[in-house]
Order: sequence, then C-alpha cells, then structure tokens
Amino acid sequence: MNALPRKISLAEWDARHACLVKEGPAEPSYGGPLSRHVSCRQDLRLEHLRFDNSPAALRLWNLLLTEEDRLGAHRAQGRKLVGAMKDLGTVPVMAYSLPNLIAFYPDGAWWTPCLMELSDGLFNVASRLGVEESFCPVRAMLGAFVTQAHFPLPDMLVCSVGAVCDDFSAIAQRLAALGFVIHWWEMPRRRRPDPGEEAVPLPGGLLAPAAQVEFVRTELERIRRLLAELAGQPLDESALAAGIQAANRLRRQLAELRRLVFSAEHCPLPALEVLIAEMLAIHYCSDREETSAVLGELLAEVQQRIADRHGVLDRDAVRVFWVNPVADMRAMDLLEECGGRLCGTDFMFTHALVEIPEDAPPLAALARVALADPMVGPTQDRAEQVLRAIEEVKAEALVISRIPGASHCAREGVIIRQRVQARLAIPALELEVPPLCDAMIPTLRSRLQALVETAMAQRQR
Amino acid sequence: MICAGIDAGSRTTKAVLWDATRNAIVAQGSVFEGVERPGLAQELLTQLLADNGLERRQVAATVATGYGRNLIEFADTTITEITCHARGVRHWAPAARTIIEIGGQDSKLIRLDAHGAVRDFAMNDRCAAGSGRFLEMVAGRLGVPLPRLGVLSQQSRAPTAISSMCVVFAETEIIGLLASGRAPADLAAGVQDAIAARVAAMAGRSLEAPVYFTGGVALIPSMATALATALAQPVLISPEPMLTGALGAAMLAARGLAADETQRGPAATEA
Repeated sequence: MNALPRKISLAEWDARHACLVKEGPAEPSYGGPLSRHVSCRQDLRLEHLRFDNSPAALRLWNLLLTEEDRLGAHRAQGRKLVGAMKDLGTVPVMAYSLPNLIAFYPDGAWWTPCLMELSDGLFNVASRLGVEESFCPVRAMLGAFVTQAHFPLPDMLVCSVGAVCDDFSAIAQRLAALGFVIHWWEMPRRRRPDPGEEAVPLPGGLLAPAAQVEFVRTELERIRRLLAELAGQPLDESALAAGIQAANRLRRQLAELRRLVFSAEHCPLPALEVLIAEMLAIHYCSDREETSAVLGELLAEVQQRIADRHGVLDRDAVRVFWVNPVADMRAMDLLEECGGRLCGTDFMFTHALVEIPEDAPPLAALARVALADPMVGPTQDRAEQVLRAIEEVKAEALVISRIPGASHCAREGVIIRQRVQARLAIPALELEVPPLCDAMIPTLRSRLQALVETAMAQRQR
Repeated sequence: MICAGIDAGSRTTKAVLWDATRNAIVAQGSVFEGVERPGLAQELLTQLLADNGLERRQVAATVATGYGRNLIEFADTTITEITCHARGVRHWAPAARTIIEIGGQDSKLIRLDAHGAVRDFAMNDRCAAGSGRFLEMVAGRLGVPLPRLGVLSQQSRAPTAISSMCVVFAETEIIGLLASGRAPADLAAGVQDAIAARVAAMAGRSLEAPVYFTGGVALIPSMATALATALAQPVLISPEPMLTGALGAAMLAARGLAADETQRGPAATEA
C-alpha cells in the first residue's frame, strides 16, 4: 500500500500495518505492529513519538526493538554472546568475523529508561549500587546486568578503558566489583605525532603516532585471542579481513543513506530514523546480515522518495547539524516540529561509520579506526571535524546536545560551539536532554524554535 | 492596520496593539497570573480593544509569544520570546547589540548583528536561580513586596554572598543567614548579585555594547546596576521593559502580513 511520505503516530502505524499485512509482502520474523512493544515490553515512549510511515522504517524499528529476543534466540542456537562495551564499533567487527559469536552493546541499555519511561527501574538499581544521577544515563546498563531483565548475560565481556569516558569506566568497574569478569583493553589518549615521530593517518583526516597505533593493535591482538578461545576456533587474518569487508559493505550503505538524506532538497527521512539507522553501525543490532537488509530497504525508500521529489518535512526546513545523541528520542521529533531538519550528525561514534582500511593488516586497520574515536582525542580535533562536516553539508544551525551526568562532554559543547561560531557565524545551541524530557519540552521547544527563527532570518538576509 | 502581540509569560500576560500604518502603539496592558489562567489573554485583548473603541475584526493579525504562547488559541502564529524581545527592544533602541531579558521563568541573552537581527542567543531555563522567580521567593522570605526589593537592596552596605546556585538551596541558605542576623538589605543585594553573576556566566567573555536590559525584572531598579557590575560595562534599561516581548510580537505580526502581501503581489493586494 503506497502512501505519501509523512510522519505518523503509533496508532496510525497500527492501522497502516493492518493494511500492509493484507496487501503487502511477508514481514520478517521480527515484524508486527509497533504497538506490541508497548503492550508486551512497556516501551511506553513509543506512544509519544512520531514515525516515518514507510514499511522500511517499520522494519528498522522492529529490528531495534526486538534485539533482546534475538539475543535469546542466538543463545538457544548455541551461539556465544560477547558484550562489547564502550568501544562503539571495534570489537563487534572482530566478533562477527567468527561464525558462532554474536556481539552486542550492553551500553545500549542507556535508552531503556527512556523507552520504558523510567518504568524499568534500572536507574534505581544503579543508584542503590552507588552509581547515582550524577553519572551518565549509561548507568542503566549496571541495573540491566543486575536485574537480568533486558538482555541475557553475555558469555564474555570486553570493555575498552583509558581515554574513553570517566563515567563509563567507573560504571564498568562497579560491574567488575559485582563479580562480572571483564576483559579490558586499553585505549590511550590520542595525541598528535611529535616532530620527526612516525605518523599514521587515521580516518577523518587525523594523525596518530605509529607507536600508539601499534599499542592499540597489540591490545586488540589480545582480544582476538580471547574471542578465538571463546569461539573454539582461530580468528585468522583472512577471517578478520572478511569481517572487515562485511562491516565496510554495511558502512557504505549507511554512508550513502546519510549522504542522500542530508543533501536532499526535500528531507526524505525523519531525524529519528536517521539516528537509529546510524546506531545500527555499532553492533548491527545483533544481526549483521539483517541490518544490511534493513539498511538496503531504507536506502531504496529514500532513493525512491528523492526521485519522486517527496519528503517528510516542509521544503524550507532549516538545515541543522546535530552533535551527540539524545537521551530522550522525543527531542529529535521536537526539532522537526520546530521547523528544523537534520543535515548532518556527529553522534559521538563517527569512527563506526567510516570505512576500515582494507589495504592494511586487519588488526592495524581496526586500531587506526579505534583511535579515530572522537571521544579519545582532544576536543579541538572533534570540533575541527564537526566544523568541516558543517561546511560540507552547508548547515544553517548547530545543536549540541548534552547528556546529563556525562563527564566527558562537560566542556566539549562550549568548545565546539565557540569554534563553529567564530568561523561560520551560524546560530548554535547547547541543549541538555535528560532520559525523559517531558517536563522540559516547553523550554526545549522555545530554544529549538528560536534557533530555527534565527537561522530563517539569516537565510532571508 | 492594527496588529496584536500577546506575551503569555509565566507570571504575567502582556498585550500590545500596534498600528502598522502609523508605526505607533495604540494600546498596551498586562495582567498577573500569566499562563496559569486560561482565557486571560483573550480577556486582556478584548479589554484593550474596548478601551480604544476598536473591534476584534479590525485586528489584522495576532502573534503570541512567551512561555505560554502555544496556549493562545486565537493567535495566528507563535514566535519565540527571543525574536520578539529583539524586535521590541530595537523599536526603542535601534543601536542595541546585546539584550538581556530576565523574566519570571528564565533569563536570556540575545546578541544582535549590525542590522538588528538576532545573531545568537543563550538561555538559562533549567534553574530558577537566574530568574524573577528567585527574586519573588526572596521578597517573600524578607517580607517585602517585590517592587520594593530594589529599594531595599540599595540600602545594603555589604551584600551577602549567596553560594547556592539552586533556588531551593538558596532559600534554605537565606533562612539560615536571616537567623544569623544578616541584614535583609544585604541579602536582597546579594541575591541580585547572584542573578547578575549567572547572566554574566551566560554572556561569556565578551558582549557587544550597547547592552539593553528588558523583561519584568528590569523594573527592579538596582538590578541593572548589579548586571553592569557583573558584566563590567554599562547596562541600559529598555523603555517599557515589561512590554517589549508583546510589542515585538505585534510588530512581527505586521511584518508577516506585509510579507504575505508582497508574496501575493500588487494585484492581489489591490483586490
């Protein structure tokens, strides 16, 4: 059933789903009406969001919201589960290079309190363990490990530590203190090579000393041995290279999707679906092949909409570059309600979106990409990357979203904002979006609307 | 052509009727209680029209602004306080490059470009400690009417440092300070300094002059002095500071109509 692209409510999606089922092709095994996630899992937030009305978007949401089932099914089929914490896209590439390993991202539990509108109680569990609200919402992960109500306990836990995130390190250490065995690998703070020091180019136009790349490579070598031990078979260079190629195929799909969505004259896909599609790059929602299929369908939908000159928002929506993910997904809808549209993003895992070099030994290539993590280097590097991306996509405004309690971004927003404004003179806004932002919606709306008005006024001049 | 601007603030609702043909304010008024009482804006507008011998059908366009702007059902559109205050202040002070607005709910810092358009803005709306609500709480604790708080603070010889940056904690701190015998005048001055420090922090390292102060809190005379001290530069009080938001809204309503007519073309306008 064809319909003009638009954003619809959960109830509208249910009605549309019923028609699609009657008329359309078979759904994947995890398909079904979106509202079942509310009734079965208490994903109450869905009732307050608006969704893209394409079957491709429905499939994307269903893939995201059924990950717990998928993890359970993988375990039932005898596959081993690897909890890959904090690295946001490196260890999963290694794990998926082995046929009987499934990597997932326990940190993803940070969205559970938002999705369940705090009915999950995960923050309370974390607070009772001494990790209270002054920490990043990723503390929900600690609660999820304790309650075991959200994901099966992994067979192996791997966590990057060092120059990543103070909050996360503290939370992971608390997890270790509870008896969970964690295999740590160290990420040094990326620095610029000294004069005369051998330098290695990293994705995103960055440079790192060869010694740092080699250090990370040896850390990943250790993780490779552990993964092989868990899988009961070696993870050799050719398997790893094949895993990298598969990851790159998916990253290229995502890159094309982002390019089309961000550059289209008439915005073809809402911000929320873009955010979720990007999130898939981190660990493929526990199914790499299915993620590729979902992205492929989404890409085809976007291409068709562009060809048909259809979009989901007003044609004159203000082009906004968004930095950092939001704890409450409702904020992305709010941007669009206020007359904005996404034209570029840096959700803090840009290193998971770039292609992994295929002309280098696999572990060295992964080490280079891991070192390009925006979180492990100087904020000035990240600000420079954001600046270049904004120039490239011709953004008219910038939103920097802060995550309450996240210590790694306490000053980062100010530095990025000041640098962008000094160079580009576009309006910029810093927002703090808590896991449930209902009480703040009037003030968030005022800020976003004012940002759009300011950008509109500048456009008219 | 008459246009109306409604500023539905958290504490007070303000309205301005603007004659776009004569570029003049026809009427202005305000009522307390703000967005807490539905229908207040409607009553205020009806009253202003009646007082000036006007009828509702003569209002060509209405723009609502303020914290409760989305509750004003009869408005043709809504525009944020940022844009409206900027427009309203520029009417009185075309040279303004920076605007500080402190209302009941929040405080804002608005930077204008050389043409008077908003270039950038910052808002403190997470904590009442930078807003008129803080002053209301203090006035209540000190047992003086809010308008008298400024007069009281001018009697201070040594403003008390208020260390709490949260209005709830600050209230506890003030109770303790009063119990320890600190003079109410010193507390009033200390609170104003604390608000000014918050605004200065929001302003960052540089502010382009001239700086204008608007919003309901600008009616407290010593507040501008506290701001000037914190910012280390002169701060001018905008004329009619309570009404700049509503005035800007009315003027923008007129501009919106003019833009619509331009888009439709002369034939359509004549028709």
